Amino acid sequence: MIGIWEILQEHFIPFLNATGMTLKLTAVSLVLAMAIGLAVAFLKLSRHGALNWVAHVYIAVIRGTPLIVQLMFLYFGITTIVVLSSFWAGSLALAIHAGAYVAEIFRGAIQSIDKGQMEAARSLGVSHWKAMRLVILPQAFRRAVPPLGNQFIIGLKDSSLVAYLGVAELYGAALSAQAENFMPFETYMVAGLYYLVLVLIFTVLVQRLESRLDKANSGGKRDTRTRIA
Amino acid sequence: MIRVRGLHKYFGPLHVLKGIDLEVEQSEVVVLIGPSGSGKSTLLRCLNFLELAQEGTIALLGRSVDPRKDDLDKVREHVGMVFQHFNLFPHMTALENIAMAPIHVKGRSKGEARTAARELLRRVGLADKEGAYPAQLSGGQQQRVAIARALAMNPDVMLFDEVTSALDPELVGEVLQVMKDLAKSGMTMVVVTHEMGFAREVADRAVMMDDGRIIEEAPPERLFSDPSHERTQRFLSQVL
Repeated sequence: MIGIWEILQEHFIPFLNATGMTLKLTAVSLVLAMAIGLAVAFLKLSRHGALNWVAHVYIAVIRGTPLIVQLMFLYFGITTIVVLSSFWAGSLALAIHAGAYVAEIFRGAIQSIDKGQMEAARSLGVSHWKAMRLVILPQAFRRAVPPLGNQFIIGLKDSSLVAYLGVAELYGAALSAQAENFMPFETYMVAGLYYLVLVLIFTVLVQRLESRLDKANSGGKRDTRTRIA
Repeated sequence: MIRVRGLHKYFGPLHVLKGIDLEVEQSEVVVLIGPSGSGKSTLLRCLNFLELAQEGTIALLGRSVDPRKDDLDKVREHVGMVFQHFNLFPHMTALENIAMAPIHVKGRSKGEARTAARELLRRVGLADKEGAYPAQLSGGQQQRVAIARALAMNPDVMLFDEVTSALDPELVGEVLQVMKDLAKSGMTMVVVTHEMGFAREVADRAVMMDDGRIIEEAPPERLFSDPSHERTQRFLSQVL
């Protein structure tokens, strides 16, 4: 226990800085993953055979191979063509990886919206894409929040693998710290604590967002707490 | 106003409409009756091209519509539709539900569309509900908002697809009242319904469908009291 206290004191600030890098990686990769995911979801929902096929292959390959392999493949593959910093190579790989899962989340959420919603919009003369933007997606996004929150937590932890590209994020900081202080057990435990706190904070934020969206969606009616109060 | 000629509709191997001919005049109220599965709703959905028929023609406002060439969004602006399950947009208030299409399809300003939407809410007796979300409204209120939403596009024809079937019995009356007022105002209406009282009171013509065909049509008074077709007699004896 004394060892952990020592490590905490010694590495508090450096680990905090590394946490900043972890959050940056997570944020950048997940924003990109949302964009990729939405685009791929539409490809998968499309009736166009070739587009459909592209989405299926992308999802099958990404889900069928380990993230670390994808990271290394992209890093060593892409840097022979374009010069990319390890941060951007890592972010991009994380985004492409999470994008496949986000695509499935969005596809499921869009398909879960009652068909009558699209029909009602179309019957008013609203075009397909406008109906998608104004009627379907706002409802689908709300439904996607819980699984997206889950995916974001996975993404946050997955970012630790980018340490192997030499990015000084949280796990990378622990990796080099334990090489110097010869206390791997304590060092990794501290790093784990940092991740745990990040995930707990994030979980609370998602829960708040969920209950706020739920209230907005139903005008407060479904929120039993406010009704009783 | 509407002219349907030789309409055939298939769902895969299922032959749902077997040669429908139908005419609806300006300001006429036509009810479609018949057993479930007879094709009433499918016919109605063909009239605003939510379903595309494989054979036959549909002319609206004297112009034949070709679904492959014509802009169906433009066609649908002229044909309002109200659904059995309301299909209000749950993330929008009553007022936003009504103002949405005028703003995003007709390019009306927000202020203009909201003023018109308020007027429509007053017309369906819900002036005090403009800020309510659908989940906060009763079924009857939701359906009245849905009618107002369709009216907001100033359609030439209104289609009603069993709009009271999903309502609690005590809420049916308020929706039928709005429809009666609408008929009185001269709106052209095609109504799929099981409300024979409403048909008798409001409709100019009742059209009896069975197995994808129109088997009989007449003023409701005559059709109900003196049906000429045996199938109509049997159907009416079950619902009246």
